[in-house]
Amino acid sequence: MATRAGRRLNRASGVIAASVLADSAIEHYRGSFHNKVMFAPLVSSALALAAGLHGAGDRRPAPHRARDTAYAAAALIGIVGTGFHLYNVGKKPGGLSFQNLFYSAPIGAPAALILSGMLGFLAERVRDNTPGTAPTIAGLPAGRVVAAGTAAGLLGTVAEAGLLHLRGAYHDPFMFLPVTVPPIAAALIGEAAIENARKPRGFTRWWLRLTVLLGFAGSGFHVLGVARNMGGWRNWRQNVLNGPPIPAPPSFTGLALAGLAALSLLEDRRR
Amino acid sequence: MTDRYPGYDVLAKRWTQSWNDQTRAVIDARLATPREPRFFTAAEWLTLGAVCDGIMPQPRDRPPVPLPAYVDLKLREGLLDGYRYAAMPPQDEAWRRGLAALDEEAVTAHGEAFHALSPERRDSLLGRMQKGELTGEAWGDMPCAMFFAHRVIPDITHAYYAHPEAWNEIGFGGPASPRGYVRMALDRRDPWEAAEAKPGEELRARRDNDHVG
Repeated sequence: MATRAGRRLNRASGVIAASVLADSAIEHYRGSFHNKVMFAPLVSSALALAAGLHGAGDRRPAPHRARDTAYAAAALIGIVGTGFHLYNVGKKPGGLSFQNLFYSAPIGAPAALILSGMLGFLAERVRDNTPGTAPTIAGLPAGRVVAAGTAAGLLGTVAEAGLLHLRGAYHDPFMFLPVTVPPIAAALIGEAAIENARKPRGFTRWWLRLTVLLGFAGSGFHVLGVARNMGGWRNWRQNVLNGPPIPAPPSFTGLALAGLAALSLLEDRRR
Repeated sequence: MTDRYPGYDVLAKRWTQSWNDQTRAVIDARLATPREPRFFTAAEWLTLGAVCDGIMPQPRDRPPVPLPAYVDLKLREGLLDGYRYAAMPPQDEAWRRGLAALDEEAVTAHGEAFHALSPERRDSLLGRMQKGELTGEAWGDMPCAMFFAHRVIPDITHAYYAHPEAWNEIGFGGPASPRGYVRMALDRRDPWEAAEAKPGEELRARRDNDHVG
């Protein structure tokens, strides 16, 4: 049971890592890899993605040292990257103004790498339990810990999407979806983390599944967004960089998958 | 002239995503501007040519940017600046009067038409115009220094930098439509922008410029 939840969390972490890998590759290519450190998230997210693929297929219950290392590195580089991006915004004239938050290095992007590392770390901690017992993390029921982490991650990602969609002036009504659907998912899974009552959470499960879909749909919308720029996809060398980031939305998918894993942990505990 | 953008030819963008039918039509029309006067008289045209040579000298190893033709076009089509100094007549009147007055100054001072003077004498007259020292009858109420600063300089330099040959010299990408720019920060370059040759990196710049499009 713990192994199955662990594998699902490895997978959730891998989805976010894939999103970060593609997104940082595109955005840092746009930044001409001006600073060699800009390669770091590519390497780290690739390792986290490899760990996710390995973990998702690994039926052995025990945590894995290489995966743990990859996840810890992802979280660490995510933290350092957030610091770099904050510094980049702060040194621009105007500091933490909307202008700089919109157009300088996005603060939320490296945070996604932290989330991938965090979910992967939790995956390994869920595995790190005696088979047959209710899994715990640091003495707390694992389901509640993962649920809390998922809720926090969702809210952070919502903030990022909200900021950048505000920059886009919500010119398309569908741009409201990532600031309406995931916050509700965060509230539902957050409530599951706090509320210890063992009750069925069918609605929460369906809402998380909707959020899983939303992540993929977001990429689809962003593909259309690129097409709507002047020159469309034929001018992809400009528009993929200038248009909405295609790989970014599946971060929601990864977090919602983690939420579903948390729900299973919580529900399994009931039996 | 040092080649700061070796191998860069903005016209290579013609059939890439950087340009579309509209861009091509605009550039074609500009390159096809007739090299003959349609607004100016033959005499004014000669004077204008000599003024252009003095203001914007061009290298001899390539066809010149047709500066008089572009000034002529601006006046014939009535392409206005959007503002006018109250002390100045409308642009077509200013140019006709200014060129006639310059010719008159040349005849008064040297006994020859402006275009027939040596380059040194022409430069000297242009310099005196810039300083406001020309006061012949033909200027009327138009201050010659204002004619210099607000007609001669802008109309001729704008004409120069409207031509792809000038864009190649300064590494300008031409019309940013349909393809604009992505990397806006200082000293960053999109792959479809001209590469500047920093000392010691001329070959690399040339290689990058071979792929501009």
